[in-house]
Amino acid sequence: MNVIESSNLVKSFGQKAVLTDLSFSIKENTITGIIGRNGAGKTTLLKILAGFIHKNSGEVKVFGDQPFNSLLVSANSIYIDEYIFYPQSMTLEDILKQNKRFYKKWDDTLAYRLFNYFSFDPNQLHSSLSKGQKNTFNAIVGLSSRCSLTMFDEPTTGMDASVRKDFYRALLKDYLAYPRTILLSSHHLDEIDDLLEEVLLIKDGQKHLQLPVEELKEYAMSVQGFKEEVEQWTQNQQLIFRKEVSGNAAFAVIRNTFTKADKENARKLGLQFSKVNASDLCVYLTTPQEGGIDDVFK
Amino acid sequence: MILNTDGTKPIYVQIAEWLETEILQGKFKSGDKIYSQYQLADLLNINPATAAKGLTILADEQILFKKRGLGMFVADSAKDLIRHRRINQTLKKLVEEIVEEAAHLGVKEAELFSMITEAQKNRKEEE
Repeated sequence: MNVIESSNLVKSFGQKAVLTDLSFSIKENTITGIIGRNGAGKTTLLKILAGFIHKNSGEVKVFGDQPFNSLLVSANSIYIDEYIFYPQSMTLEDILKQNKRFYKKWDDTLAYRLFNYFSFDPNQLHSSLSKGQKNTFNAIVGLSSRCSLTMFDEPTTGMDASVRKDFYRALLKDYLAYPRTILLSSHHLDEIDDLLEEVLLIKDGQKHLQLPVEELKEYAMSVQGFKEEVEQWTQNQQLIFRKEVSGNAAFAVIRNTFTKADKENARKLGLQFSKVNASDLCVYLTTPQEGGIDDVFK
Repeated sequence: MILNTDGTKPIYVQIAEWLETEILQGKFKSGDKIYSQYQLADLLNINPATAAKGLTILADEQILFKKRGLGMFVADSAKDLIRHRRINQTLKKLVEEIVEEAAHLGVKEAELFSMITEAQKNRKEEE
C-alpha cells in the first residue's frame, strides 16, 4: 500500500518555482531518504506532505487524503525540523506532556528513556537549548510519537558525531519494533544509506531518481584515464558526469550498463574503473554539467 | 560480523557470504533456524529490506528454505551446496587469477607449485 502519492505536484513561492512537476509514491512502512541539493525542494515537499503549506497544482495524497487541512494527516504524521516552535515558557517536560496528549501512539517510556539517556533536564526551557540539543530533543519527540508517517528534515544538524550515531541507531531499533513510514532528508547520504530502503533524489523540483539503495550503489561506475581515451570510450556510454582532472587526465561517471566487451576496450585504452558510492553518485547526478567550482576561478 | 561499507561489495552479498561461512563452520546446522531479516538488521545496523535480500540469495540457491510464518531454515544439503559452489566458482577463479599472474611474471609451473606447497606448510604451522 502507498502511504504517499504525488503526481505533477507544483509549488512556487512568488516568482520562484520550487517544485515544478513532482510525481512519486512511497510504500507503507519503509524508510526513504529524500536527497537533493540545497534549494532542491525537499523541505517544501515535506511541509506539503505534513499539511503545513498548500500546493499550487497537481495531486498529493497522504493516507488517501489531501494533507492540507486534514485532521487524519495531522493526527497521524509528524514533521521534525530544527525550527519547531514551542511557547517560550514551556519546559521540556511540558512539551513531552503536550505531545503525549496529541499523538495517540505516543510512547512515554521511550520518550523518557531517550530523554534521560541524552541527559536532558525536565525543567529546562526549549528556547535555552543549543542547536544540537534542540535537534536531539525534537528527534526524541519525533521517535516517541510513533506516527504512521514520521518525517525528519535534516534531523542531525548540530548534533555531534556520537549523538548522530545514537539517533540513527535509535531510529532503526524503534522502526524494527514498530514499523512505520519514515522520510528522512539529509545532506549526508553516506551517514544514512545503510538505514534506508529507498532513495528519492530531487533535482530542480522534480523526481530525478527513486531507487532501492542497493541498486543506487550499483547504478554507476567511474572511469579515469587520459582525456582523449576517456572521451573516446564514453562516447557510446550513458554519461552522468565528466571532469578534467589535470592537464591531460579526465574522470567520468557513467551508468553501469556497459558490456564486457566495452570493459575490455576500456582496459586496452588504459582506463581505470572504480565504484561510485551512493552519496557521491547523488552529487554527480545533481551537479550542473556547465562546470564545477573550479570554473568559478578560471 | 563487521560490514565493509566502502562499497566494493554490496551489503546483501556480504551477509549471504557471512551466513554461508557460519554454516560451513557448523555454527548453523541443517534444520536450524537462521537469523530473521529483523535480527540481521538489528545486528548489522542496516535496513531490514537489505538484510532480506541477503537471505533471498541463499533461499534462491536452496541453502535456506522458508517455513511459512516460522522463518528461514538451513537446508539438509546446505553445507555441500556451499562447498561445491565455492570450489567451482570462488576457488576456481582465484586459481585462474594466480595462473594468470604467474604467466605475466614468467613464473614456471614447478615454481608455482612449490609456492603453494610452501603456503600450505606455513598454514599448518600456524594451526
